[in-house]
Amino acid sequence: MDIGPIWRAMLRNKAGFILIALQIAVTLTILVNAFGIIQESTDKISTESGIDEANTFTLASVLFTDYEREQRKVLIDEDLDLIRNTPGVVNAVASNSFPLRQGGWSMSLALEPGNQTAESVNTAIYFVDEHGMETFDLGLVDGRNFLPEQVTWDDPDDNTWPAYAIITEELAKEIWPDETVSYVGKTVFISDDDPVNIVGVVDKMQAPWPNWDNVVERSMLVPQRRPSEFVRYIVRAEPGMRDQLMPEIEAALAASNKDRIIRDVRTMDHTRKLAYVGDAAMIKILGFVVLLLTLITALGIVGLTSFNVSRRTRQIGIRRALGATQPAIIRYFLIENSIVSAVGLVVGAALAIGLNIAMVEAFALEPLAWYVIPIGMLVLFIVGQFAVTGPARRASNISPAIATRSG
Amino acid sequence: MLVMKDVYKIYRTDTVETHALRGLSLTVEEGEFLSVTGPSGSGKTTFLNIAGLLEELTSGTYELDGRDISSLNDRERSRVRNEKIGFIFQSFNLIPELNVFDNVDVPLRYRGFDRAERHRRITECLERVGLASRTKHFPAQLSGGQQQRVAIARALAGEPRFLLADEPTGNLDTNMADSVLDLLAEINASGTTIIMVTHELTLADRARRNIFVRDGELHDGPPELHFATAASA
Amino acid sequence: MLRYYLKLGFLSIRANPALSLLMVAAIAVGIGACMTMVTVRHVMADNPIAHKNDRLFHVQVDNWNPNNPYREPNEPPEQVTYLDATRLLEAGRAHRQVISFKSDRVVQPDDDEILPFQEEVRATSADFFAMFDVPFKYGSGWDAAADRAEERVTVLSAAMNDRLYGGEDSTGRMLMMNNEPYRVAGVLDDWRPTPKFFDLNNNPYEDPEDIYTPFSVAVTGEWGSSGNNSCWKSPEEAGYASYLASECIWIQMWVELPTQADKEAYEQFLADYVTEQKELGRFPRPLNNRLSTPEEWMINQEVVDDMVSVLLALSALFLLVCLLNTIGLLLAKVIRRRNDISLRRALGASKAELFRQYIVEAGMIGGAGGLAGIGMTWLGLRGIENVFSEYDFIEHLVTMDWQMVGLAVLLAIVSSLGAALYPTWRACRVSPATTLRIQ
Repeated sequence: MDIGPIWRAMLRNKAGFILIALQIAVTLTILVNAFGIIQESTDKISTESGIDEANTFTLASVLFTDYEREQRKVLIDEDLDLIRNTPGVVNAVASNSFPLRQGGWSMSLALEPGNQTAESVNTAIYFVDEHGMETFDLGLVDGRNFLPEQVTWDDPDDNTWPAYAIITEELAKEIWPDETVSYVGKTVFISDDDPVNIVGVVDKMQAPWPNWDNVVERSMLVPQRRPSEFVRYIVRAEPGMRDQLMPEIEAALAASNKDRIIRDVRTMDHTRKLAYVGDAAMIKILGFVVLLLTLITALGIVGLTSFNVSRRTRQIGIRRALGATQPAIIRYFLIENSIVSAVGLVVGAALAIGLNIAMVEAFALEPLAWYVIPIGMLVLFIVGQFAVTGPARRASNISPAIATRSG
Repeated sequence: MLVMKDVYKIYRTDTVETHALRGLSLTVEEGEFLSVTGPSGSGKTTFLNIAGLLEELTSGTYELDGRDISSLNDRERSRVRNEKIGFIFQSFNLIPELNVFDNVDVPLRYRGFDRAERHRRITECLERVGLASRTKHFPAQLSGGQQQRVAIARALAGEPRFLLADEPTGNLDTNMADSVLDLLAEINASGTTIIMVTHELTLADRARRNIFVRDGELHDGPPELHFATAASA
Repeated sequence: MLRYYLKLGFLSIRANPALSLLMVAAIAVGIGACMTMVTVRHVMADNPIAHKNDRLFHVQVDNWNPNNPYREPNEPPEQVTYLDATRLLEAGRAHRQVISFKSDRVVQPDDDEILPFQEEVRATSADFFAMFDVPFKYGSGWDAAADRAEERVTVLSAAMNDRLYGGEDSTGRMLMMNNEPYRVAGVLDDWRPTPKFFDLNNNPYEDPEDIYTPFSVAVTGEWGSSGNNSCWKSPEEAGYASYLASECIWIQMWVELPTQADKEAYEQFLADYVTEQKELGRFPRPLNNRLSTPEEWMINQEVVDDMVSVLLALSALFLLVCLLNTIGLLLAKVIRRRNDISLRRALGASKAELFRQYIVEAGMIGGAGGLAGIGMTWLGLRGIENVFSEYDFIEHLVTMDWQMVGLAVLLAIVSSLGAALYPTWRACRVSPATTLRIQ
């Protein structure tokens, strides 16, 4: 069937078709932008923290009785001994934070001593001992782990930063973008003018702030132990042992010392969920919006096509009487819908790009991937064709005898 | 009294000009029963549209009851239609969602009568057309003749001076057509002016005066004569 | 005539039940989506201290790094140092002034049945309660003398008083925290400012702290901040004393200045203070002090998450789609009812009367859509609550007040009347002569 006559017939009833085209255009605009955000959130949620999340849990010990410094050191050593000697535990470490926790310590690193400058690089700081590497299950790509003698206790009389560090590959690239051989043995300055020697490089360990784009892949392990009242323990269990160990270790620690409380006993899975509540929610909300919107637009097309069919009953009967086959009638409506969809989708693509540019400018959003637009257009086109099928089938069932009836 | 003088009606589209009426002049006196006949496309319907204020004329003058119609705005024209003119259509044009009572009620609503007055008139008109017992029926539940009677009741309810009928029996069988015509004659006898457009000469016979329209021009006189003229021309 | 139009509207809706349902549903869903986000945004952007907005000011002074501003473009630090907080408090140049920060304490209840638990505590100077109009159920706050004398007094929230003392008047009782006794001076009535305007640092929507203690007691006890703490250079030495003397920022400061003149005087005072400090070698950046009203401060701190604004924009477009849908369906209805319209015109209905008839019908559909839209908004808010169930504060962001209910109905009626304009205009244009032509 020729498009020409259909197009000319549509021009006789422009308003109705313009409305559907506009509806399709705005639907595409929302669809594509919502999908872009869904994709961005999905990407973010699926990034790896770099640690053995499946088998790891964390807890905090809060001391509420005045302990001398040395007493606090002893308590931490006792706690770690207790945890590490529990059957089923791979290893454990006391640290100030861990990936996905959404709270931690950041410092800026510079190639020269002195105050931070625009060239300084921010990084997350994890204070650990030599068990940190195994507990977090980090992959060493260069250099080596801390030696036990490199790990020191924080000293109230000495403000100097520890002289050694293990850093992530991302952080190393950020500090020394031109280095091609090895980062091990290089020196960087922290806390204004304290030199730090890089002893090892790990493939991946995220900072505690999953939403801080600039810093999330930049972490630094510092071989220092801190005898504060508030200590976090990270415990890595053997596969399958985690859920059994959590209450066991919590009870053992609580029983071992009554001057403190044990709190925030949490799996890494749970921590991950908390860290990405917003992104997971956006995926759910926008996914629902996209479905609902597509449904409404499809129903709108069904409704309007049904109207057109009943308005044109007589005309369709005449066509049938003049020899149009049933498939030809169906084809008529499909072609008509294709034309409306094509107009709407082209306008919609322009609107979608416009809205995306505006949103990227106004909010912290990534620009759309180019292929989202053609995919969205294709999906809406198919939905439109499906929506038309029902009413078009009814139209094809109109009896040719209607043509000879009057009134 | 209805007076048309030198009325032209021209339909214009982008490419075509159709002269539906060409200088039509006509005077209809109070109480007449006038039939308008003519072949398809002769301008009958255009004449009726203009007479009934459904369309505006292109040029010429039209006075209804001594009032110049061409200067009226939409609201005033609607008012004139509502108060002075009743319509009867070939396909009855009842509103399918409304029952008989509510259909007759439609013009009265726009007249602004109070409830009691509307009720009185509707009942009276339905009695007059013999359908007082069918007020709750919907159009689809009535025969064609009954539907046309409802339409006549609706036209009469506003107590119009003029009744315009467009092929009032076109969709009816002979028996029903006769009874509808009897009803029209009776209405005319009680003083209402009737203008009936038809292409059936037998119907035109029932009118007291016949006019004939051809190519948008008016010819007074018996239709047979004009057919003869047309045939010989 | 209105009743007649209502009747006609009802008949018309009944004559096309599926279509009418589709229109009502489309409007309801559009209104629901839009109003859900409007409601959430309305709560998030609320100003809980609006009645004092013109007299409360958040204080910022720029003690930051000479090479880099605290935040682009040249924003002064969000909090103040201990040095500046205490000196400005001591100067007492405002009608009221408050310095505060939050910290953690372990509460040891008298009742042995309740295990010790850790709580966030707000360490603050005495004016906090009067300045922020905090309501008391029992007792009162403490005074400046108690601040100076470092008295161990405390104020509890109603919830904490319920938990520790079963809701009775606990003033005068002693509460143990970290093995130190505090005398309960007062118990607050229900108080939950949303957002938590006086400290927006970590989560603007969390509950306010349940325990309050004097700032001086906290500092003498060497409490660390459990909120944000930023330093552009490290303290000179290790230890708490050096931390207090450092350029680290961790204290929120507010002042109350009743008149414009007071505000101008305070601005001058701050400028003089910073200039004086510059001579001592501090404040290496250009003069950049700022006083912000609670509203200005919440806007500066972007308490409304970008994602909420994104969703609001998308939901407005969603409503637009639903309205385009409605316009199309109404138009189709008008086109199908040409005969009816034309007949009514022939029987004497003017354009104005037809306009009113169709607007009433659209209004009925809009009203129904609005009512259903309130239900949809409620469902939408429950949905939001559900997907954010990990946030314990979410319930406070998804509540609908009468203002929002009214807005939902208004939006529904206005938008459906807007949607009806074009189809109704088309209806009025139908010629009365059409009725004769269509046979």
